[in-house]
Amino acid sequence: MDFLTLTRRNLWRHPLRTTLTCGAIAMAVFLVCTLRSLVTTLDNSAVASRNERLWVQSAVSLFVSLPQSYQAKIEAIDGVDLVCKWQWFGGIYIEPKNFFGQFAVDPEKALSLYPELTVTEGSKEAFLGSRQMVLVGQGLVDRFGWKLGDKVPIMGTIFPHPDGADTPWEFEIAAIYQSSKPNVDNQMFLFHWDYFAETVETASGTAPDVGTYVVRTHPASDQSAIMREIDTMFENGPQRVQATTESEFQAQFVSMYGNVGFFVSAIGGAVLLAILLAALNTMLMSAREQTRDVGILKALGFSDGRLFAYMLGQSFALCLVGGAIGVSLALLLEKGISKAFAAMLPNYAVIPQTIVLAVGITFVIGLLAGILPALRARAILPVTALSDR
Amino acid sequence: MSNSMIICKDVSKSYQRGGETLSVLDHLDLEMEAGRFYALMGPSGSGKTTLLNLIGGLDRPDSGEVTVAGAPLSKLGSGPLASWRAANVGFVFQGFNLIPVLSAFENVRLPLTLTPLSKAERKKHAELALSIVGMSDRMDHRPSQLSGGQEQRVAIARAIASDPKVLLCDEPTGDLDRESADQVMDLLVRLGKEFGKTILMVTHDPAAAARAERIVHLDKGKLGHIESNVGA
Repeated sequence: MDFLTLTRRNLWRHPLRTTLTCGAIAMAVFLVCTLRSLVTTLDNSAVASRNERLWVQSAVSLFVSLPQSYQAKIEAIDGVDLVCKWQWFGGIYIEPKNFFGQFAVDPEKALSLYPELTVTEGSKEAFLGSRQMVLVGQGLVDRFGWKLGDKVPIMGTIFPHPDGADTPWEFEIAAIYQSSKPNVDNQMFLFHWDYFAETVETASGTAPDVGTYVVRTHPASDQSAIMREIDTMFENGPQRVQATTESEFQAQFVSMYGNVGFFVSAIGGAVLLAILLAALNTMLMSAREQTRDVGILKALGFSDGRLFAYMLGQSFALCLVGGAIGVSLALLLEKGISKAFAAMLPNYAVIPQTIVLAVGITFVIGLLAGILPALRARAILPVTALSDR
Repeated sequence: MSNSMIICKDVSKSYQRGGETLSVLDHLDLEMEAGRFYALMGPSGSGKTTLLNLIGGLDRPDSGEVTVAGAPLSKLGSGPLASWRAANVGFVFQGFNLIPVLSAFENVRLPLTLTPLSKAERKKHAELALSIVGMSDRMDHRPSQLSGGQEQRVAIARAIASDPKVLLCDEPTGDLDRESADQVMDLLVRLGKEFGKTILMVTHDPAAAARAERIVHLDKGKLGHIESNVGA
């Protein structure tokens, strides 16, 4: 108990220095938690994706569309259970900063494809009932304060309205979903392909192509064979395709951000190194000030081992308090960050493994910052320590 | 000498300073009886503090043997030597050497954490030690809130808290005014007489030395002579 009191009082001998060092550690741990959570959120969205769903896109680029005729051909492949059109709309709600994904889909098939979408308000029937009806994620409802029955105008950028580029597409909120898995964005805006196709055809005079097809296979089917068959089927055009599992498709999006893991690790590593040096500096200064105290304690009969543990304990105490504040900050700000990154990175979350990692890092910083002063306290002769002025 | 508490046999100690070897103690032989109050005097550099440190197990001789309370110190490793110090020796330093962030009570209780005493017993022992030195009313004060004389009395309370056999005092009155110095000396004499402590006190102060029963004179690392102080 006396050693704990001594540790606490010594750390508080210079309140400003201790507070600043503790704050720096807290900030570093918070940054590591947040950066790591960005990576795990990206990874989780890919890992959690269901592999019985395949995505078929142009082999050239995601920006190249596929003919509508492909749907029936893919449906005819043995082992394919369902094929749904999935078209990126890319419209603007009021202003560009209100970015979220709008998709024209085959509504009934989309709901069947994604059992992760649980309708929490309104009903599936209401969504299917009229072509201007939309199904929106709870994330969008929270973000924009929408409710059932609200009319939502979306300005088409890629697909302008037939009445002119200044005329918005009109939608009505028929149902709200909550995603039960991190792989499914909680901020999607799903509307009827028929409404989309007719409006586009009216505007341009030609039926639109399809951005991607989402395919569900039979559980017992050989997915690799189905993917090969799809690729081979359209090898001679008019558009070559690439079929991938959903997780691979998600991973493609992640890779669009570059090597996020390396980038984040590099930043996190640099931050940690800087903080380690700051903590080490504090501990060395603190240990230097306590040299005489170490001599006194040795004269009183405290062993070298106890003094080693005592000095190391001070470092751990400093770092663990800082680390605890950092982790608490990361958890407290989780919702705020999730909201801030909602458009780019849905379902941001600080997972338990990240907290364990942060605690581990805190321990390592405590160990590295305290080991030198602790070794010095253990090795110094009592007479040498007592003669320190 | 029978009933010897401290035996130094052929003890030598030297230090390296500026590339030169400085001999501080030179084949010193000395015995001190249990329960006596010794003053150790001599000019600066005569090896008084070095001898005190060797007897207290804070340093080790280059050669020779120091035996205190029956324990040959050179045969003890670092850990056992620390445990031996905790059980057998109390130190009183010129600069008091209290831990500045602890109160007087906490300073006195600190060495008791090395004993098997319960928390309540430690508290009782610390309070008793503070009452012996007359510092019960200042036990919650930090060292910075005490006068030099009060600090030294707390340091003495800390030194006797675990009831060691030997008290080693390095210039305990060196930083004190006359009145405070006299109070500290009264206390040390009392500890020797009432509690049977063997006390070895390094001092330059003839008045302080006069309170001891024996005065050991060192000169250039060798034993000069030992005076018996009949009046003490």
